[in-house]
Amino acid sequence: MNSINRFLIIVRIAARNLVQAPRRTLWLALAIAMVTALLVLFQGISEGTRGHLLRSATTLSAGHVNVSGFYKTTPTDVTPLIEDGARARRIVEENTTGAVQIVDRQRGFASLITAGATMQAGVAGVDIEDETILADVLQLAEESEYVDDGRQEVVGDIQGLSRPNTAVIFAGQARRLDARVGDTITLRTQTFRGQANTVDVTVVAVAQDIGLLSNFAIFVPSRVVLDLYDLSDQTTGALLIYLEDIDRSEEVMDTLRAAFLSEDYTLLEHQPEPFFAKFETVSGEDWTGQRLDLTTWEDEISFLTWIVTALDTIAFLLIGILAIIIAVGMMNTMWISVRERTPELGTVRAIGMTRTGVLLLFAVEAFLLGLAASLAGAALGTAVAAAITAAQIPIPSDAVRAILLNDIFVLVVGLKQVLGAVIAMTLVMGLAAFFPAWRASRMQPVEAIHR
Amino acid sequence: MKPVVELASVDKDYPLGKVTVKALRNVDLTFYRGEFTTVAGPSGSGKTTLLNLVGCIDVPTSGEVRVDGQLTSELGDRDLTRLRLEKLGFIFQAFNLIAALDLYQNVEFPLLLQGGMTRKERRTRVLEMIERVDLTPQLRQRPNELSGGQRQRVAIARALVTRPRIVLADEPTANLDSETGRTIIDLMKEINEDQETTFIFSTHDPMVIERAGRIVHLRDGQLVDEDTNSDSGDARGAP
Repeated sequence: MNSINRFLIIVRIAARNLVQAPRRTLWLALAIAMVTALLVLFQGISEGTRGHLLRSATTLSAGHVNVSGFYKTTPTDVTPLIEDGARARRIVEENTTGAVQIVDRQRGFASLITAGATMQAGVAGVDIEDETILADVLQLAEESEYVDDGRQEVVGDIQGLSRPNTAVIFAGQARRLDARVGDTITLRTQTFRGQANTVDVTVVAVAQDIGLLSNFAIFVPSRVVLDLYDLSDQTTGALLIYLEDIDRSEEVMDTLRAAFLSEDYTLLEHQPEPFFAKFETVSGEDWTGQRLDLTTWEDEISFLTWIVTALDTIAFLLIGILAIIIAVGMMNTMWISVRERTPELGTVRAIGMTRTGVLLLFAVEAFLLGLAASLAGAALGTAVAAAITAAQIPIPSDAVRAILLNDIFVLVVGLKQVLGAVIAMTLVMGLAAFFPAWRASRMQPVEAIHR
Repeated sequence: MKPVVELASVDKDYPLGKVTVKALRNVDLTFYRGEFTTVAGPSGSGKTTLLNLVGCIDVPTSGEVRVDGQLTSELGDRDLTRLRLEKLGFIFQAFNLIAALDLYQNVEFPLLLQGGMTRKERRTRVLEMIERVDLTPQLRQRPNELSGGQRQRVAIARALVTRPRIVLADEPTANLDSETGRTIIDLMKEINEDQETTFIFSTHDPMVIERAGRIVHLRDGQLVDEDTNSDSGDARGAP
């Protein structure tokens, strides 16, 4: 209780010192608040991109945990499939806890051809009745988003994928292919045996773009991929497992690896790379038969995480430079404060305050200013981030769109970002104040009191 | 008579540019429990330096200072701080109250630093001291809302609230009018007599000097004379 009262007195003295120099305090607080707001905004961009990346990847091409297969009839002929899909699925179902959904996805790559254009895309074969998460996450675009004279309404239905030879494409693809709901697209590819094959599909729905990744994926019924590649019904491309808790991905993958090994499957060594990046390595290996590859969603998007890392690095450098400038300001303020309050310091030292007490006096002052200003800055940053996201501002530059993997600015600011920014700035301010505070604490009472 | 402060062959030099100022020269002096002593002398005679050494906020260039039996040169900063907190009280010429704190909090401050008391005990002690200096109605006023005399009384309350053995007052009446100064000295004397607290104060105010029990005269850093004032007396009587 005594310590609390003593501390409260120190807080009161520190607060008084801040109030007594309002202009100095205000400018410094403003600078701290601005840097904190920037820090929050940068983190918001990074988190928004990360979240979007996760959403894109887990919607378009990966589950939280993925079981894929490579099948080789000769050491050089690689087919990306699981030979006995039903057995693999049974093992997954029996050994996965906390799964929200387990789905089969056929995987392929094809040219999309219309009368006006051709483009390449990954083809995901789905059973739409099983894919409830996909059906929930994919938002259909209004026709006007992909057709110049289109209606301001959604046309088509994703459930149309339950019909044979259908496809759901994305708005960006629809614009490039000049296709709308009801049009036919020809899918052309080479089977794994090297024969050219085509399938015509009808567009049943056009989904809103999910950033850059959605340029390279379309959804068709599983049967289309099986036909396109001339595959048996028993095969599957991959098993995608969606978990209640995404943070358990690693753990679930490890459990499944053990389960598949115990069922005499041969597994590839875990590499934190997406499935498709392993083709070259696998084709160069001297083995035949079936091998499974288990990955998490992070592995599947690892080729894109450099973007988030780059954003974080740029943000860190910028904020670092600004924080140093602010820290110099804080240090300067503390020097002035020490100079102005030297007689008072002498008095409290004479009365019996220890050097640590004096150190604490200044540390609390810096802490109070840092905390109050960074809280205000974090609130401002959060509000600006929310406003930008709510306004759905289109990203004007293709390059920025490619970097942020999105068409609009989405800034996600959570408690973690706010607390991180506030703690970081408060800590920097505390550290900046340390040296002046330490010097103040080392002053001889007699010198201080008579200065 | 029990000595509470002993100075033996104390010198104190201050470097002032290329010159060394000898603030105190070979001072041998003892203060006893319950004394009400004035250190008198003209400006620059070494009064404040002497009080600083006794108050453990400065160290002698040579010689020994013992406060309550402890040789100050052997104590580290932490122990000296503790000694000041527990054994000494300071009353400054410019009052030196903490502007952020109100009257009550200023008086409470040393007790908070000291620790070891419950809130209730602390409150009782603080209110008792404030009543003693007759400032109860001003309990929640800030220093800038008080007159000079009131501020000095707060400083006295703050110096005495820890019940120190020794109270050091550097020119306590210098910033006060003569009437207020007289009241302050009367108050200090009253406390000296009631609690046997040793008071050592520097002054060149004749009114203060004539009320002291013992007068130590300094000139040019040297102890030149000592008087006792039988009319005034102090808590232990004349030495």
